[in-house]
Amino acid sequence: MNKKTILVIDDDIDLVEIIRVTLENEDYEVIDAQNGERGIALAKEQNPDLILLDVMMSKVDEGFQVAYELRGSAETKEIPILMLTAVADQTGFDFNPDKDADFLPVDEFIEKPVSPRRLVDMVRKHLPTSV
Amino acid sequence: MAADPKIAPESSHFVSAASLRVRLDWFNKLRWGAAVGVLVATLLGERLLAQSLPLRSLLMAGSVLVFMNLGYVLRNLRLPPTDIVAELRLVKLQMLGDLLVLTILLNLTGGVENPLLYIYVVHVILASLLFKGKEIYQIAWLAIGLFTAEVMGEYLGWLPHHHLLSASDLTHQLPFIVLTLASFWLVLLFCAYMGASIMKHNRAIKDELVDRQAELIAADRSKMDFFRFVTHEIKSPVNTAQSAVETALEVGGASLDEGVQDMLSRAVRRLEQATDIVKDLADLTRGGGGLKQENLSDVDLGRLAAFLLDRQKDVADRTGQNLELETPQKPVIMHTNQAMLEKILDNLVSNAVRYNREGGRVLVQVRRSSDRVCIVVGDEGIGIAPEDRERIFEEFYRSTAAQRKSTLGTGLGLAIVRRFMQELGGHLDLDSEPGRGATFTVEFPLTAGRNGAVASTGGKGHDG
Repeated sequence: MNKKTILVIDDDIDLVEIIRVTLENEDYEVIDAQNGERGIALAKEQNPDLILLDVMMSKVDEGFQVAYELRGSAETKEIPILMLTAVADQTGFDFNPDKDADFLPVDEFIEKPVSPRRLVDMVRKHLPTSV
Repeated sequence: MAADPKIAPESSHFVSAASLRVRLDWFNKLRWGAAVGVLVATLLGERLLAQSLPLRSLLMAGSVLVFMNLGYVLRNLRLPPTDIVAELRLVKLQMLGDLLVLTILLNLTGGVENPLLYIYVVHVILASLLFKGKEIYQIAWLAIGLFTAEVMGEYLGWLPHHHLLSASDLTHQLPFIVLTLASFWLVLLFCAYMGASIMKHNRAIKDELVDRQAELIAADRSKMDFFRFVTHEIKSPVNTAQSAVETALEVGGASLDEGVQDMLSRAVRRLEQATDIVKDLADLTRGGGGLKQENLSDVDLGRLAAFLLDRQKDVADRTGQNLELETPQKPVIMHTNQAMLEKILDNLVSNAVRYNREGGRVLVQVRRSSDRVCIVVGDEGIGIAPEDRERIFEEFYRSTAAQRKSTLGTGLGLAIVRRFMQELGGHLDLDSEPGRGATFTVEFPLTAGRNGAVASTGGKGHDG
């Protein structure tokens, strides 16, 4: 059976490693990118099963821009995106996927600090069931 | 001076345009009284004084007063009081008109014989309170000039004299005239001087207060900027550290030594506390969005209070506390920022439970009166010492008693309560007896005020 691949786009290397340990422990394959541009390239190249995306990288809202771009591209628009947010992020966006589903290009928000159990639950919930 | 632009233009005047307008409206009423007085006195005068006063001229003077006042009233109705300079210019114009009419009335009713001359003094006192420096003396000299001209005009026979008292000849008694004029000049100039110097002093105090307030606002702003900066910088390390330790426990938990597991669990608990502080700091420095239209919704206060009390049920059960809710039969609905109100009440309710005595009662009351709604949160716990009443609302301040009672708490809960209450235009009240409990009351006006918060009772069809 093929391992499911998860792309983590985050500039916090420590957090990337934490997520890698958690997800590899659950038998997922983890690839990562430290910035949005590299993340988009990797998403197109490797076609991961799910993307974990940090809302704030070097620039405010970079995560949202990456999400819009991924959703706008034919190769990547079907890949579920889970967005990592922190309560003190000043993005100007209202994090309510139910209310804003129409214009927010992500499937779920995961609030930092990321608890390993919640992360795994969310990944399972949003992974496509058939390969 | 880094002054608030709202304060700066008015700082050199003692009164604001709005408060001056209240007085001006009041003077307009007085002027109606004066006009009516002149007209009535003219008609009665003949009988009371047994003198023939110049009826037609007096009626005309009275009418001039009526028309002048009608103009002032209409002007005040049409123009909102926004510009203090324009208001003061109007006051000057009104004083000029009033002094002229007063002098004419005086001339028509006996001149120097008439005690009406005291009214000049009133004008000079008023001018000394409202105007500054030269302007005060302009009014004082105008009053002196008009009165002196009237008296001297009559004495010299250039102006007609109308007797107020029968067969009185005071008008032509030079010693009397000189004495009257000398006293008049002295009183008016003295009033002008006293008023001017007192008001100069008052204005200096006021300017000082305005400066101090601006400094306090600036200091508070830079404190908030600092908190915001710290929050931003510290949140990622704290978040990541917490995730790292949790992951270590989760992934390697079973294989870890019991002592190591215990250490990691302790680290998680303390990092959770740090995360709470970061979250509270974010609330405090960013605010809650206030009463912007898109943030408002109808909130059932009774239901919200019940929900928040329910969240404390576990802690209360463990410590044998009774949680009680009193709410009117008819639901009390408030149109407000729900998230902010919830945060305010949640902080108050969780504090009440945290600092209550074992087996004590926490009582939450939702009340509605004709013009306001209030929510009262009371406990029977450690209470707040009088010297801590103000300080507990400061960031990170925790009273000694509170620290002894609980290691939990970010020290930011009440600071957030205070900030959010300001944003929502509410009033916060604290009543406490150390050792017997504390009662916090939050109160909101019922009608749509400046702040836009509106509360109302539930519509028809609601059941409690």
